[in-house]
Amino acid sequence: MVVRPYNDELKYLEKVSDHCWRIKKGFQPNMNVEGCFYVNSRLERLMLEELKNSCRPGAVGGFLPGVKQIANVAALPGIVGRSIGLPDIHSGYGFAIGNMAAFDMDDPLSVVSPGGVGFDINCGVRLLRTNLYEKDVQPVKEQLAQSLFDHIPVGVGSKGIIPMNARDLEEALEMGMDWSLREGYVWAEDKEHCEEYGRMLNADPAKVSMRAKKRGLPQLGTLGAGNHYAEIQVVDEIYDKWSASKMGIEEKGQVVVMIHSGSRGFGHQVATDALVQMEKAMKRDKIETNDRQLACARINSVEGQDYLKAMAAAANFAWVNRSSMTFLTRQAFAKMFNTTPDDLDMHVIYDVSHNIAKVENHIVDGKERKLLVHRKGSTRAFPPHHPLIPVDYQLTGQPVLVGGTMGTCSYVLTGTEQGMHETFGSTCHGAGRALSRAKSRRNLDYKEVLDKLDQMGIAIRVASPKLVMEEAPESYKDVTDVVDTCHAAGISKKCIKMRPIAVIKG
Amino acid sequence: MLKLKLEALGHPTPNDVALSNRKEFASTILWVEDQKIRLYTIEDREKLRNIDNPTMWEEGYMKYCADLNMPPLETQQEQLSWILSHAVRLEFLDDPAQFASINSKQDPTQSNGKQAHQKVQSIFDGKINVQDKAFVDGVRLLATKLDVPHHPNHLLQLEAVARVVHERLSPAAKGRQPILGTPFPFDTGNDVVSSNDPALDLPMRILRLLQIQSLRQLQTHINETIVAVQNITANPKTDTKLGKVGF
Repeated sequence: MVVRPYNDELKYLEKVSDHCWRIKKGFQPNMNVEGCFYVNSRLERLMLEELKNSCRPGAVGGFLPGVKQIANVAALPGIVGRSIGLPDIHSGYGFAIGNMAAFDMDDPLSVVSPGGVGFDINCGVRLLRTNLYEKDVQPVKEQLAQSLFDHIPVGVGSKGIIPMNARDLEEALEMGMDWSLREGYVWAEDKEHCEEYGRMLNADPAKVSMRAKKRGLPQLGTLGAGNHYAEIQVVDEIYDKWSASKMGIEEKGQVVVMIHSGSRGFGHQVATDALVQMEKAMKRDKIETNDRQLACARINSVEGQDYLKAMAAAANFAWVNRSSMTFLTRQAFAKMFNTTPDDLDMHVIYDVSHNIAKVENHIVDGKERKLLVHRKGSTRAFPPHHPLIPVDYQLTGQPVLVGGTMGTCSYVLTGTEQGMHETFGSTCHGAGRALSRAKSRRNLDYKEVLDKLDQMGIAIRVASPKLVMEEAPESYKDVTDVVDTCHAAGISKKCIKMRPIAVIKG
Repeated sequence: MLKLKLEALGHPTPNDVALSNRKEFASTILWVEDQKIRLYTIEDREKLRNIDNPTMWEEGYMKYCADLNMPPLETQQEQLSWILSHAVRLEFLDDPAQFASINSKQDPTQSNGKQAHQKVQSIFDGKINVQDKAFVDGVRLLATKLDVPHHPNHLLQLEAVARVVHERLSPAAKGRQPILGTPFPFDTGNDVVSSNDPALDLPMRILRLLQIQSLRQLQTHINETIVAVQNITANPKTDTKLGKVGF
């Protein structure tokens, strides 16, 4: 890594508009394209401070600052357009979380990188609507939170309550949500309202190690730990009435359920296995990167293809996982209100993926090209009339579900034409970490965090309360800042804001 | 749309054709006949040439419309539009090779026409000659009765008629419940159509809505099929004994 004084570093950065910065070539060695990032004034300060800290003499270890990571990604072979940082960006393994990059499928040198997908493959958010209102749920929210907690196993090492054997798992990995449909855990309409229709067709369970399958099997249908949660939320604000009504959200106070989860230990193992393979492939094919964490392999190499197939299987795992939790949530609600999920109108509004690489067609320099789009901590946000979004959202644009942090609000945005041009149809995914987990544990007290939620009138059930401060709102950037930046930059449009009334956490 | 057609025909002032003015309308008709259609010999165009003598011109125009086989169209705009389309078609047929690079493979009217032809032929099992004049007249009459706009290819028009009958007049359509729900204003949606040409905006929005409607039907069929299969395969189970909340 090049080490320069902070003021010299700044010469490579240029503010091109109120919400967008350009990272010029030369900021890191061998950049093939430029980088850029989207911020508002507050996020900008965080971003530059992080860079400044890393420029202090003697600063070693830990993750590179987000800006540097964006620039390192811009140096990967085959990248097209720009390496893009979204407003919720923070340092991660190889790629920053909140970094998206697209690689040309027709360039034989192009690479796929597990670091560009992340360890929690197809971590994502699903939003269920109900026809209940806050007044129906407030009086019973403690019981409802308990009921959800009883139905959905949470926490590190939790085990699911949907019986599965090894053969079921193989089928689920190949079929994704089609498996859940076949077994009757979800509704046909759920599949319709899911990115990729809940199934990646190139999944190949044979490319997944036994170890990953062993880790994954008991965990299917569990929420997991870390930043994952299930929340009962109420609609707090509607910015775009027509788009909201297309999603079945009519008025303020309507109750929705948000499920944020991923592929658990399964995806983690798939990523770990791939990284080992890729280091070998890099040596063989003489691929050089600026950062060892950016392990990658040519898309067309055996390692690259094997990873894409295993990643697709992990993505399918995550969809089955969220589908199983959808089933359990519907059961919990139906029991509580003594009715059926149908009568509660508990439809899936949408299901988005945060950590995934997909083959998509985009217009680059006026020509249509087939790209492998890596989105890590970034949500796909396709504009109205895009053929890959469900027919119900053809007029509104793809719904983008942005989960906030525990106790803060969440948003639904819609994709825009401008986002399609500027960011390959991508936008933010959440609040984005501001403090590292270790730092949060040192600085915050878990009792205070829980008390604060209590004061806000939020019912909470946690499997491991002593880790709750890692996920406290103080550890994160302000999700409203993040969403407002995306809205102001035009890469997605605000539609609905929700606030939580009950939280289930790992 | 008129402007586009006039441009395509190489009209000297496509922007300045004022439709409200009958005289200007007359001179445009004359220009098209003189330059493009050439249905009459030069001598026969005499009556149309009398732009300054309205009675004489109208008489000539009536005959001209009949000779062109123009369907009964009410407004001046519709008539001009039809005549211009006719002219464009003739222009194209004069030298199709010239446009081969643009639409040789998927010229919409041609391929649609062929498809429609095959479709109709297969329905009638070859027992009816669909190019027969009586058949054509029958289709045209049906279309007039149902207010289906004119199309030069009567088979495409027949398809449109069939669609109207299916959507509005069939027994199934009559018994159908009206669609409930909040209407979505299609002209104020998030979708940008074309910012520079309002004349294209509306038809494009309408076409997109039709496309969405047929997609919705397809998706509903898919969902119904899935549900039918689920009735056989689905057997969701849970076993709370397996559950373990981690720490």
